[in-house]
Amino acid sequence: MNLTGFLALTEREISRFLRVWQQTLIPPVITSVLFILIFGYSLGSRIRDVGGVSYLEFIVPGLVMMGMIISAYSNSSSSVYISKFQGNIQEYLVAPVSYWQIILALTIAAVLRAMLVGISILAVSYWFVPFSLHHVPVLFYFMLLTSLLFAFAGIATGLWASNWDQVNVFSTFIITPLTYLGGVFYSISSLPLFWSTAAKFNPILYMVDGFRYGLIGVADVPVVYSLMVVFVLTALFFILCVQWFRKGYKIRA
Amino acid sequence: MKATADLDHEDTPKLSIEKGEKNMTDAITIHQLTKTYLSGTVALKGITFSIKAGEFFALLGPNGAGKTTAINIITGLANKTGGDALLFGKDVVKDYREARALVGLVPQEFNVDQFEKVSKVLYFNGGYFGLSRPERFNRIGRLLKDLSLEEKRDTKFRELSGGMKRKLLIARALIHDPPILILDEPTAGVDVETRRFLWDYFRQLNRQGKTILLTTHYIEEAEELCQRIAVINKGEIVALDKKQNLLALLERETMTLHLKRKIGRIPKQLQKYHPQEQDAIITIEYNPQKEEAQEILDAIQAAKLPLLKIETSRTTLEDVFLHLTKK
Ligand SMILES: Nc1ncnc2c1ncn2[C@@H]1O[C@H](COP(=O)(O)OP(=O)(O)OP(=O)(O)O)[C@@H](O)[C@H]1O
Ligand SMILES: [Mg+2]
Repeated sequence: MNLTGFLALTEREISRFLRVWQQTLIPPVITSVLFILIFGYSLGSRIRDVGGVSYLEFIVPGLVMMGMIISAYSNSSSSVYISKFQGNIQEYLVAPVSYWQIILALTIAAVLRAMLVGISILAVSYWFVPFSLHHVPVLFYFMLLTSLLFAFAGIATGLWASNWDQVNVFSTFIITPLTYLGGVFYSISSLPLFWSTAAKFNPILYMVDGFRYGLIGVADVPVVYSLMVVFVLTALFFILCVQWFRKGYKIRA
Repeated sequence: MKATADLDHEDTPKLSIEKGEKNMTDAITIHQLTKTYLSGTVALKGITFSIKAGEFFALLGPNGAGKTTAINIITGLANKTGGDALLFGKDVVKDYREARALVGLVPQEFNVDQFEKVSKVLYFNGGYFGLSRPERFNRIGRLLKDLSLEEKRDTKFRELSGGMKRKLLIARALIHDPPILILDEPTAGVDVETRRFLWDYFRQLNRQGKTILLTTHYIEEAEELCQRIAVINKGEIVALDKKQNLLALLERETMTLHLKRKIGRIPKQLQKYHPQEQDAIITIEYNPQKEEAQEILDAIQAAKLPLLKIETSRTTLEDVFLHLTKK
């Protein structure tokens, strides 16, 4: 097995986003701070407690998930798309590295970037609203699986996309709306029945809700459900990536 | 000129494969390789050839002949439709990791991260091929020196000139010191001096024992460098032979007689040579292996033509090539 090849690719993928850390690590943290200032402080002061916690405390887990989702997705989708576009994806297609090693290297970099962003947002938020970590394994599970899920989704989109707009279509029309509707800013139990039922078809709800449970111990959905939903989705996207890489979908004619 | 139907008078590799023997001294074995793209384009119609270890072999053909397609299948960049491709007996699909470790590819198109520095490109690629860091630094120093790219070590790929980019692709292909080197139009877009330099470098690599498969549509390049040449056209090998044989097979000399005036009728002394007459010019083609030039000259003299001057010319590989691919 070519462990060196795998490590070199991982190193390359990590250096790719660290090289421009100002563009890859800082913006999501700033966005979160803005949300905290706008919603938490100015508007949130008029909102009463949600499920027994302050509004500010309620939105922090959602902000962390939002930052992590976008970071993991952007990292792998742009890496795959750009290297496909520039042709340098061929550098590792002609090398003696296997498909799963390529997927793993791309994934490790995306997960690392998401984790760095997630931990930074947590740290900055703590300065505004001190919280205790309610259930660390659950908390970590949602951080890890959510970044894995969106790393895989990013790889798949990067392979599928034929132009840069298509890379953005998925984030603009699917990820962003679903994140905003996914209970980042409100509890779905406060919605009318129809909408709270509709919200349950939104996969991001389970990530935000499960992570919120891990962080502050408050959840709308039983946490076991959330654990399972996220696991199944991650597995599905993983299988999709493996299949596409094996076939060389859009990378090998 | 008359075409000979079967120009391939060597033992083709299909014989040894059909007997079930794997010839381990063959660096590259291509057997009945076919490729139909999803678009429906048939790029390869079943090509067969083998390249011995240490050989310098050219795949010569016009644009769209299928050269890059064949190379992409060998190196794992395209999926074959049928047939087999082996590198030192390793199947490029089944034993893809072993096969890929044996080959370095200089692709036709620049496929490098535009923002990566020269030394980093080599560093990462060395890694992909399993080289330890010290080995990589060692090879990088050596290759940058050999290809006079030392000054550009910290330059981003997109800031290199076209010729330097080509050289970097060559350095990248050699980073893991592979026994097989595949060059897909390696001198496209480089100046004459650099081309000469690269030719010398390729010859040197070949002398050191590397098997080289070169694709080109510069006939001069194939003639200059290679021992054997396969001519490919529209997805088929139309000729495969040693360079000299390929030439000899269609070797012709042409004698051109410029006359003072048009004569209208071919003198009978010359008729056995089937001359062509156009205005005041008569051309006689002959095979120097069969006919004596002196004999023809004597006939010309006997015919008492109003001669202005006589020119002779030899067919070049170019003529052979045009002849083979014009069908
Ligand atoms: N990715 C692809 N999808 C569909 N058709 C392709 C693809 N790549 C090449 N072809 C077609 O296959 C045929 C052979 O192309 P190929 O690139 O192998 O030719 P070539 O001999 O390398 O030509 P050149 O000298 O121009 O580089 C052409 O008709 C080309 O249009
Ligand atoms: Mg080509």
